[in-house]
Amino acid sequence: MMASIARSALLRQAASASKLSLATSSAARQSIIANSVRASAFHTTSRRNLLPPLPQRVEGTVNDPAPVPEPSPSHGSYHWTFDRLVAASLIPMTITPFAAGSLNPTLDALLCATLLIHSHTGFQAIIVDYIPKYRTPRARKVFTWGLNAATVVVGLALYEFETSDVGLTEAIKRIWHA
Amino acid sequence: MAALRSSSARLLSLGSLRSAFRLATAAPVRGFAQLADAAQQSQTSSDKPANLKTFQLYRWNPDTPTEKPRMQSYTIDLNKTGPMVLDALIRIKNELDPTVTFRRSCREGICGSCAMNINGTNTLACLCRIPTEDNADMKIYPLPHTYVVKDLVPDLTHFYKQYKSIKPYLQRDTPSPDGKEYRQSKADRRKLDGLYECILCACCSTSCPSYWWNSEEYLGPAILLQSYRWLADSRDERTAERRDALNNSMSLYRCHTILNCTRTCPKGLNPGLAIAKIKKEMSF
Repeated sequence: MMASIARSALLRQAASASKLSLATSSAARQSIIANSVRASAFHTTSRRNLLPPLPQRVEGTVNDPAPVPEPSPSHGSYHWTFDRLVAASLIPMTITPFAAGSLNPTLDALLCATLLIHSHTGFQAIIVDYIPKYRTPRARKVFTWGLNAATVVVGLALYEFETSDVGLTEAIKRIWHA
Repeated sequence: MAALRSSSARLLSLGSLRSAFRLATAAPVRGFAQLADAAQQSQTSSDKPANLKTFQLYRWNPDTPTEKPRMQSYTIDLNKTGPMVLDALIRIKNELDPTVTFRRSCREGICGSCAMNINGTNTLACLCRIPTEDNADMKIYPLPHTYVVKDLVPDLTHFYKQYKSIKPYLQRDTPSPDGKEYRQSKADRRKLDGLYECILCACCSTSCPSYWWNSEEYLGPAILLQSYRWLADSRDERTAERRDALNNSMSLYRCHTILNCTRTCPKGLNPGLAIAKIKKEMSF
């Protein structure tokens, strides 16, 4: 039984087909094997029914346009521009402390804050992409608030690290011998 | 034979099993096709040896919805077939299996009906040459991540509904000064080149992973290209409203510049660039 759990879907299907075939003719056996292999050939990875597609649902009639959402720039254009600015500003902020050779606590704090925002919006984009609101509203809520909580915890930790320890850049400097 | 029946022996001989599977699935139809072509070969004298090619077609019949989709093989002689995949499909439907279902109309890449996934690439069957350099099987699937109506026919209802939602027509309140058509400069007209040629075949949208995951809300490259076609039109007066309609987290900004759309477009257009231009226009 353990062995059958460890086997891949393809092997399992082939094995069960051979078990079945003891009772059937050789022609039928061939077709069962062919069927099982053919079906599993559609799936190169093992099948996990994570969010299987729902049956097709057409909202309204086929001649109605798809609904247009309300404009909200803070989730749209402003959000996009802000994201790019944060990402672009991280490059000089990462290089400066090492290039200049001096460690400024203000710069360090700024780097930590920007890094935190950058990773928050990055993870947020992953959640928006892969946990659709219309499909899994509850999971979406859980993950969004989970991310918010994680960001607060990391923010507090970074504050603690900056104020009562050596700070981010100094820590990297000590660890990184390249 | 008793030893062969045990599952372990069968697992060890997976390689031979795979070849057996090929024979088992291909045999009935392939045999018939070869017979048909071989018979004709003998009649038309042997000026050219038969150049056989096998096409594996995705088959699913809505009349038997519990049956799993399967691949069915058809072998035809390329010497008696046109150069494009659509020619082969039409020949398969005419001569081998009339139940094969696909859309086609213009056979010259202007209607966008025969969009399908050929050897892993979304393209128009009428613009896709049958590769003659090798005799590997050609695999033909419907457009990926679509609801399938039958065999190679995808359901594009939602795609068209999304197209309708961007209001793909000229919106204008002020009449033209001389009461004739709305004129635009040559430079303004040139901005529409590379946009107006889109035939809405849905090859790009169905190649986009973002559209696979979020097709309910994300508009996808084809619709966004069309959206930009109307944003860039100097005669259109509802540019602000059009931008507002895209200004939310889902409609436009699920594009992550993967550029599968640009790579796959059978008309050689660049939806990725059009989306980037919309984002740039809306950024400040």
